[in-house]
Amino acid sequence: MDLLLEYREQLLAGLVTTVELALASLVLSVTLGLLGAWAKLSANRAANALAGAYTTVVRGVPDLVLIMLVFFGGQVTVNAIGTATGLWDYVEISQFVAGALTIGVIFGAYFTETFRGAILAIPRGQIEAGISTGMSRPLVFRRIIWPQMVRYAVPGFGNNWLVQLKTTALVSVIGLQDLVYNAFSAGRSTGALFTFMAAAFVIYLALTALSDLGLRALERRYSRGVVRA
Amino acid sequence: MENLLSFIPLDLPLIVQNLDRFLQGVGVTLGLTFLSLALGGAMAVPLAIARASRHRVLNPLIWAYTYVFRGTPLLVQTYLLYYGAGQFQFVRESWLWGPVLSQAWWCALIAFTLNTCAYTTELLRGAIVDTPKGEVEAAIATGMSHSGRLHRIVLPSAFRRAIPAYSNEVIFMLHGSVVASTITLQDILGVGRWLNGRYYLAYEGLITAAVLYFIIVFAITRVFRWLERRYLRHLERRRDPVVRNIAPPMGVK
Amino acid sequence: MTEPALRVENIRKSFGDHEVLKGISMTAAKGDVVAILGASGSGKSTFLRCINLLETPSDGKVWLKGEEMRMTDRRGIRRPADLKQVERMRAKLAMVFQGFNLWSHMTVLENIIEGPVHVLGTPRREARDKAAALLAKVGLSDRADYYPAHLSGGQQQRVAIARALAMEPDVMLFDEPTSALDPELVGEVLAVMRALADEGRTMLVVTHEMAFARDVSTRTVFLHQGQVCEEGAPDDLFRNPQTQQFRAFLSRMN
Repeated sequence: MDLLLEYREQLLAGLVTTVELALASLVLSVTLGLLGAWAKLSANRAANALAGAYTTVVRGVPDLVLIMLVFFGGQVTVNAIGTATGLWDYVEISQFVAGALTIGVIFGAYFTETFRGAILAIPRGQIEAGISTGMSRPLVFRRIIWPQMVRYAVPGFGNNWLVQLKTTALVSVIGLQDLVYNAFSAGRSTGALFTFMAAAFVIYLALTALSDLGLRALERRYSRGVVRA
Repeated sequence: MENLLSFIPLDLPLIVQNLDRFLQGVGVTLGLTFLSLALGGAMAVPLAIARASRHRVLNPLIWAYTYVFRGTPLLVQTYLLYYGAGQFQFVRESWLWGPVLSQAWWCALIAFTLNTCAYTTELLRGAIVDTPKGEVEAAIATGMSHSGRLHRIVLPSAFRRAIPAYSNEVIFMLHGSVVASTITLQDILGVGRWLNGRYYLAYEGLITAAVLYFIIVFAITRVFRWLERRYLRHLERRRDPVVRNIAPPMGVK
Repeated sequence: MTEPALRVENIRKSFGDHEVLKGISMTAAKGDVVAILGASGSGKSTFLRCINLLETPSDGKVWLKGEEMRMTDRRGIRRPADLKQVERMRAKLAMVFQGFNLWSHMTVLENIIEGPVHVLGTPRREARDKAAALLAKVGLSDRADYYPAHLSGGQQQRVAIARALAMEPDVMLFDEPTSALDPELVGEVLAVMRALADEGRTMLVVTHEMAFARDVSTRTVFLHQGQVCEEGAPDDLFRNPQTQQFRAFLSRMN
């Protein structure tokens, strides 16, 4: 315990990085998820195909492989393009950017499915009822589709977020000084790896448990008027 | 333009030259993934039954186990076991140390098994709890015993309904198995990283790994699609059913 | 004197403070068809479910062909004294549900042979032969390999009846067997039940079908607020209702 206190600042810094990384990638994922859901549900063939390919690739390749590809390969590619075109000088992609970008893109695919499912879950009749009341399309979206979509999406959203939060741990492998990385290095230098990994373990558990509680509250709030089957 | 293109082609001969290593990596990945799925799945069945039947003592214990293992990253679980266990004198002196706990492969297998078991337990519990109440009542009314109901009605029905969610678990476990490469194991990603490191490459190893994983996921998806078609036919809503195998009346020309 | 097929005495059932059944007794001789009528909330379904212990009655006794279903009190909770006995008796008390409750992961044929093979221990071959005969009887020979979800409601209920018959029950319990059906499918199920009555099956039928009660039942019982309000031969009962409650019920149903 004394050891942990001694290294509390290092652990805290790691925790902050982890949370920042998770939130940054969440923002990207939700944006991509909304776009993806729109693309999958739209009548545009090309948009369908693109969204389909996106979710297939993400489902087919493990997170860490993509993170490494972006971090090691992306750097080289971006700079090669820069040199070849002369448009920009040497750019360095940090671990944070590579991680947030990759995890954001990966979970964008999962959010795509969540949002798509949520939109499909809205009974068609309600949309028709809106149209026959004389509502315009944007109005139907704003008043009928959006509020219900949010409600149907909350459970899936929560689940994605929990997985996403845990996935950020992988970015430590490319050297981002997040919770895992800092706990590991503290453990290594003190010879107390169990103590520090256990601390990281407990902190992650606290993060997911807190998220879980918050999401439940959100779910309750949004499911007013809905009887659970 | 020339300049640009010269970066994109991969050193294919180098990949081909190291294909046998990659295939060994495939073996390690598949071995770890499917062994842990098999062990974790087998353990999950009784745990899920205990959870679903709200066993007074076991239920909270099992819930705590699944909550903890589902609430923390697999990477941290694996590190805790592989790097953490050695902190304790008594562990290092126990008979388990040499053959098991100091071995990366065993640590990965144990961590993966505990992890997938936690997820599978909850997924099965959900499927068991969702068994239509009326079907269970019909079994009771037929005079089936508790265990008869479980074996004949509840579990067969729940296993089938769990197939789609379980296919996700299988794919997630395959994705998760890359953690093995972070504790020195030469799984698919491990070989890819080795290749990149050895020849100072940016892509080749990782791209090859990505392609191999993709193929495996594709195959798994195919298998599950077949399983779903075979075992979830009974849940398809009424399309006009195909009339199968109706033999023509005998002796009629 | 022979024992009646089914005898229940003073069945009571409470959910919390609310007493749903306030002591119901009834006897059915072999071949009797008892129609049980009552408004919703009168406790008629609960009564039926208390007979085979899908609900545990708070009080009362059940005899099947003279054998009493033994109950006991443990820590103030009534429960079966011998679960094996209850299971054996349930096998002889086949039930047909309002919602069919066919096992959705089994084909029609598998549904029908499940009980005989796994509860009664009938050889599979024999069970299959009998199932084929039963399917012919309910007019569904060509549906043996279908899954329940691929059948209409009326067909599902006929399969459920075949499944009940396969147990060779002493008494059949029907819990509103036509209430979940579209009107045009009610007839096919009632026709099967009528045929069963004609061949001398002992049946307890909770129903809203007045015509069935009047034409087919040997005795009609009207439940009101958890008690037997009126009972007798259907002819007398329908022509000459004695109580205000039954009169009101009849006028609402017609």
